[in-house]
Amino acid sequence: MFIGRKFNSLILSSLRCNLENSFQFYSVFPPNYIKPIYKKDEQEALYQEETELKQFSHSPVQPAKTNNTCSEFHDELIRKFTNYIMRKGDKKMARKILDETFENIKIKKLNEYYNTPPEYRENIILDPKVIFYQAVENCTPVLELQKISRGGIAYQVPIPMNENRAQFLSMNWIIRTAQNKGNAEKLSDVLAKEIIDAAKNQGRVIKKKYDLHKQCEANRAYAHYRWL
Amino acid sequence: MTVLIFTRFTKMRNLMNIDNFGTVRGLLNIIQRSDVISKSYSTDAIQQIISDKPDKFSERKINKAMKVYLERSREYKQFMEKQIAEYNIGKRHLAKIMGEDPDNFTEADIDRAITYLFPSGLYDKQAKPMMIDPTKMYETRKEAEFDEAGRPHHFLFYTLNPNYYEVLHEIVGSLNRLDKIEDQMLAKKIQPSSQDKLDIVESQWIGKPELEKILGEEIKDKDFEYFIKSMDRLIQHPVSKHAESFIMKFRKKLLFINQHLVVPKPEYDSDNRPFILVEKCARKNARGQVKVIGNGSGKITINGQDITSFNDIQCREQSLRSQSRDNAYKKLDSSSVLIESSDRTTGS
Repeated sequence: MFIGRKFNSLILSSLRCNLENSFQFYSVFPPNYIKPIYKKDEQEALYQEETELKQFSHSPVQPAKTNNTCSEFHDELIRKFTNYIMRKGDKKMARKILDETFENIKIKKLNEYYNTPPEYRENIILDPKVIFYQAVENCTPVLELQKISRGGIAYQVPIPMNENRAQFLSMNWIIRTAQNKGNAEKLSDVLAKEIIDAAKNQGRVIKKKYDLHKQCEANRAYAHYRWL
Repeated sequence: MTVLIFTRFTKMRNLMNIDNFGTVRGLLNIIQRSDVISKSYSTDAIQQIISDKPDKFSERKINKAMKVYLERSREYKQFMEKQIAEYNIGKRHLAKIMGEDPDNFTEADIDRAITYLFPSGLYDKQAKPMMIDPTKMYETRKEAEFDEAGRPHHFLFYTLNPNYYEVLHEIVGSLNRLDKIEDQMLAKKIQPSSQDKLDIVESQWIGKPELEKILGEEIKDKDFEYFIKSMDRLIQHPVSKHAESFIMKFRKKLLFINQHLVVPKPEYDSDNRPFILVEKCARKNARGQVKVIGNGSGKITINGQDITSFNDIQCREQSLRSQSRDNAYKKLDSSSVLIESSDRTTGS
């Protein structure tokens, strides 16, 4: 809070001056303001790096956002997934759904664990977070199709994409597939099922990925339209 | 080959005493040096010696454009002198009107006096009456950048941005110098270490307006980018420390953030426990106050309730954030009271 007040009185006024003089940008903070490091392990890692620490001590830092927390339950990928689930800005609901989903995953996995004979139990992963990571990784596509028109004809051209886009598609497919459900079913139940399936490299999402890859393979003849 | 023949030829001419000014030279007894090739157009000195009326010649030498320029600069100087004199007299009058010392009447005093004597309800600054130093009022004109013969003083005058290109020229010069230094070091079998490299963490490049101020001329965005690129290359040189004085002219020091950060000192309550009280913490429309007490047991009080007064988990995480550094939440108590809020409930 103190820092917040300090920020309002000292930095914000000078920021407004800067805004008038220099170019237009969309954030309140000029580009030389760096993002805060709010996780404890990252902070400790920063202390190891001498040059980075020096840089950090000389550049102004943006205030931490409301969803930034150093809680040990915080995870960057899960935070992103929550935001993808969220509809109409209802983050409370999105978080509730995800918590229930992880609970369901845990229950299902524990069921599986106790139903298998003790000698095979070692291979079963119980941690929902690990299963979630596995699922996202398995669903990540390599190529996607893009419409490119050449000579008046639109071709479906297979193109590679960057990591962010691939990760987004992977997570979005999981959510979209889970939303494709009957009225009686709950989203958290279906989502749990999809994630467990995807972690095993099975299920509807994985099929979707394979379909896309198959189509890309079929359209490989058009691949050169990407640059020609 | 041709040069050789030419010099020989001139020597022969000298020997035979045949040249373009043969007769004049004979009269004035000018000895021509054999290693100087005489040129018919570099005759200023000779003409001045020869001529009986030097004024006539110098008048003819100045071309029309130059004449116009001289006329204009003379007019400008006269005008400015008049304006400054008027301003100084006016200032003294104003000081007398206001009953102050005319010798120590500053610009701030003038502004104050003008706003007092001519009150104006207009908002536009340009529409208000003002009394400004003429040197600030009228734009200063550049002094002549060329001599009487029309020859520019600066060797890069015809690039249109002589100072900018001079800096670029200096960059290349210092790059070459650094290369030489590095070569010398390598010849002595000394590897350049990190100490020879300039430390750039604590400073950053100046912006375009600042560079323009230093150079005294307007430059394009593209040129500024090129300048930064070139300077970056100079900085990346392994012995860039040797060009520090040149580089640092174009870098500004970054502030050490902690310099302006005042950490509040804790007060002590009756149980000798340290505490910090922050009042009127603003969050959107809500105002609250927070008290963090040391030597505690990790108790959290929000509006008289514990942390469960927040239904949202994100809010609970937020209320713990201030304490969770260095696992301090086990030792601290904190209480926050919401003073006023329009619609949202926010604690810390």
